[in-house]
Amino acid sequence: MSKRIAVCAVAQVKNEPEYAHMRFQNMLLECFEPIMEQTGVTFDMERGIRNIITCSDDVFDARTISDNGVTDVVGAHFRGEEKMAQESINGLGYAMACILSGHDDVILFMGHCKESQGESRRMATNLACDPFYCRPVGMDFQNVDALQAREYMEKSGVTEEHLAKIVVRSRKNAKKNPYARENRQVDEKEVMNSPMYADPLRELHVYPVTDWAYGILLCCEERVKEFTKKPVWLTGYGSCMDRYFIGDRDLCSNFSLKQAAQRAYARAGIKDPRKDVQLFELSDHAAYQLPMWAEGVGIADEGKGGKWIDDGGMEKFNVNLSGGHLNGNPLLLGGAARAIECYYQLSGQAGDRQVKGVKRAVAQAATGGAGQHQAVIVMEA
Amino acid sequence: MIDKQIKGYEDSYIIEGKMALPYSYFAGRVGSKFITTIRDKKKIMGVKCPACGMVYLPPRQVCDKDLTDIRDNWVEVGSSGTVTNFTVVRYDDKHLPRKAPFVLALIKLEGADTPFLHIVEECKIEDVKIGMKVEAVFAEKTTSTILDIDHFRPAVETLSVHERSKLRKQWVPSDEPETQEKRRGGKPDMSKPVIITAALTGAATMKNQNPSVPYTPAEFAEEAHKCWKAGAAMVHVHARMDNGFATHEIDRIRATHDAIKQKSPELIVNLSSAVGMGKTAEQRISQIVEIKPEMASLNTNTMNFSIIDRKTGKIFIDYVFENTFTMLQDFGKAMEENGVKPEIECYDMGGLDNTMLISKQGFFTDPMNFNFVWGVAGGQAFRAETFIAMMNALPPKANFTTCGVGTDEFPCIMQSCLLGGHMRVGLEDNIRMPNGELAKGSYELVEVAVGVAECLGRPIATCDEARAIMGLRKK
Repeated sequence: MSKRIAVCAVAQVKNEPEYAHMRFQNMLLECFEPIMEQTGVTFDMERGIRNIITCSDDVFDARTISDNGVTDVVGAHFRGEEKMAQESINGLGYAMACILSGHDDVILFMGHCKESQGESRRMATNLACDPFYCRPVGMDFQNVDALQAREYMEKSGVTEEHLAKIVVRSRKNAKKNPYARENRQVDEKEVMNSPMYADPLRELHVYPVTDWAYGILLCCEERVKEFTKKPVWLTGYGSCMDRYFIGDRDLCSNFSLKQAAQRAYARAGIKDPRKDVQLFELSDHAAYQLPMWAEGVGIADEGKGGKWIDDGGMEKFNVNLSGGHLNGNPLLLGGAARAIECYYQLSGQAGDRQVKGVKRAVAQAATGGAGQHQAVIVMEA
Repeated sequence: MIDKQIKGYEDSYIIEGKMALPYSYFAGRVGSKFITTIRDKKKIMGVKCPACGMVYLPPRQVCDKDLTDIRDNWVEVGSSGTVTNFTVVRYDDKHLPRKAPFVLALIKLEGADTPFLHIVEECKIEDVKIGMKVEAVFAEKTTSTILDIDHFRPAVETLSVHERSKLRKQWVPSDEPETQEKRRGGKPDMSKPVIITAALTGAATMKNQNPSVPYTPAEFAEEAHKCWKAGAAMVHVHARMDNGFATHEIDRIRATHDAIKQKSPELIVNLSSAVGMGKTAEQRISQIVEIKPEMASLNTNTMNFSIIDRKTGKIFIDYVFENTFTMLQDFGKAMEENGVKPEIECYDMGGLDNTMLISKQGFFTDPMNFNFVWGVAGGQAFRAETFIAMMNALPPKANFTTCGVGTDEFPCIMQSCLLGGHMRVGLEDNIRMPNGELAKGSYELVEVAVGVAECLGRPIATCDEARAIMGLRKK
C-alpha cells in the first residue's frame, strides 16, 4: 500500500448560477482566507507553502495560461505554481506526487471557474475536439454524452423514469448542502416533460451552468498536527485515458473508469468496494452517468444500472448525498467538489447529510466527452 | 462599452469580450490524403492494420492496439454505411454546422471497423434509427474539411440477390416440362429462374489484361465468392499455376476446386475438360474423373480455336482444338458414369448435331445442358437468328445457356435470358464492362447479367434451384 497524505482544510464559495458581481479572483480569495485562518499555515519558504497548484480552464477564462489571472490571490508570487488544466481531481493526484516525492511538505490547491462568463459551455467543449474530423460537424461534450446515454441506457436497462428519479433526488439532496447551487425542486413528471436537449437527454438531465471556487490544503503525514487535529487521508489515486475517437471506444464499457478505480483501490488496499467503502461521490455531468459510473467503480453490477437504482443502490452505497455534479458544479471542478464532500463526511462536518461511521469514501471524476479520461481517489478518516 | 450593469454595483461594469484567433493547422500526410481523396475523388479511405485487421476511420498513423505502423496501408471503404448510434441536437449554437434540430450520428461505413460522427439529413428526424443504411452526399463546394462530405442521407435500400431470393417462392420443377414447341413461339416461362455462371479465367486471359483474373486457389476462392454474392449459382474454372499458366495437374485443380467450395459451399463448380492448349485427351479427362465436380464442360467438335486480330485479321496464335467423336463419347460417358453432369459446349450447329448423333448411344441423362458459345475465332459469331435456330434444334427437356467472347457477351446473354435460357459471363470470355471499362472482376459482369434478368422480370436462380433445373446431384 502507498503512503498517505493529509487533507488539512478545505474552503469553498457557494455554487451559483452566476457570480455576476464578483471576479473569480475574489471568489478564490474567499476560499484562501478561511484556509489561512483554519490552519495557520504560512508562506515561509522552509516550513510553509512553497508550491501552489491551481486548476482552471483557458477557454472558460478566455485567456491562455489562465492561472496567471490568479497567482497573486493564491499566494503564488515568488513561489512555485503549476496549473492542472485537466479535471481538478487530477490536481489531488499531482499534490500527492509533490508531497510523496519529498519535494514539498505542504501544498495549497485552489481552483476556480465561472462557466457563466462564456456565451456557451458547449462551444467551449467543441474546442476540445480536433479541428479535422470532429469539430466541424459540431461535436461537443453534451451531444457526445447523449450518444453514450443512448447506448448505456439500452445496455443497462436505465429508463426515463430512472433518470427522473436521479434528478429529483439530486436536487433534494443538494438542499441539505449549504454550498450547493440552489435549484428549484422538481418532481419526476416535470423532469420527464422537460424539453429534449440532445436525445435521449433532456434539459433537466444535464447539470446547469455554474460558477464556483475552492481551496484545499494538503500536507505530509509527519507534519499534519501543525495544521489540523482532524485530517482526512488520501490513500489511493488512479487515472486512465481511453481512446480519443468515440468510434474507437466501446462507449458504455466503462473501460477507463474500471482501470482508474482498480489502480486506486489497489493502492488503498480495497478489495471489495461494496464492503470496504461507505460513501461515494460520482461526477454525474448528466443523470445517466450516476448508475454508469456506479457500475464502473464496482458498486453496481455490469449492465444492471437500472435494477441497481430500483434496488435502492443510490441510498445503500451513500452515493452523491451532496447532490452530485448534476446539481451544479463547473465542468473541470467536479472532482474537487466530490473530494471536498468526502472530506466533510469523513471529518464529520457534513451537517444534515452526515452519514454515521464513514471511514472510507471514494471520489470520481471524468474529463472529456463521454468520460474519456477517468480518475478515482480514495479518502479515509 | 458598458453593456450591462448590476444593481448595487453601479460603479462597476461588465466588459463584453471575445476569444477569436484565426488559426492554421497542418493536417499531416495521413489527414491530408484522407480529406483530399474525399474532396477530389469523392471516395472515402481508411487505413487497415495488417496485424489485427482493424480498418480505422478516421485514418491514423499507428494502430494503438498493437503499435503497427499503418500510415501507408490505405483501403477504400464504402461511401455508405450503417447508423450505429445517434442524437438529435435540439439546441442552437455557433459551433454547430446546422440549425437545430438536426441529427448527429455515428456511422460505420462499409468496410470500416470504427464508426465516425457526421450529420444525417434528407429524412424526417423521427425516421432516423440505429441500423439505418445511409450514404454520403459529397459537398459541391469543397472546403478541405470533413464537411467535404456534406452529410449522409438514407440510402436506397437495395436487397442483395440472395435477400431477394429468400423473399420469393422457391422454384420447383413442374411435371410439365418446357417443350420445343413452347419455346418456338417465343413464349418461354419467364418465371423460371435464370442460372448465372461466372467463367472466372479460361485458359488464356491473363492478369496483364485484367488484374482480377485469379491464379492461386485463394484468389479463385475470393473471386468465386464475390460472384456468388453478386448472384452467380455456378463458376466455370480452368485452374492456373502461380505464373498464370493453365494446368492439368490434378493436385492444383483439386486445391482450386476445394478452396472455392470451402469459401462458398453452396456454389456449383463446373471444371473445364478442355483445360488449355496442347493437353492430351488423358490429361483432359482424368482430372474430371478424379475430382468429380458437379459439372464439367464437354466439347463437341474439332475446330480452329485461334487468336486472331479482330480488326486486321492477322493470325497471332493458330491452334486446332481437337474434339473427335471418340473424345465426345469417352468424355461424355466418363462424366455420366462419375456423376458429373456435362455442360455441352456448342460453337456452332455442327457441334449440336454431333452431340445428337452420339446421344443415340443413350448414355446422356436428362435434362441435357447446352452452352452456345459465340465469337471464338474458329467458331461462329453471335447472330440472333442462328441462336434461335440452335435453340429450336435442342432435344426435348434440354436447357441452354450461352456465352460470347468479347463484346458478343452482352447481346448473347440478353437473347438467352429473353428466350428462357441461362447466362454465362466472366473474365474468361470478356474482360470489359458494357461501357468499355475494365471489369473489376467477374462479379461485376455477374451484376450486369443480374440487371438483364431484372429487366425481363426473371428471378435469379439460387444454387439449389440451378441444381434442380440442370438435374445435378449436390455433392
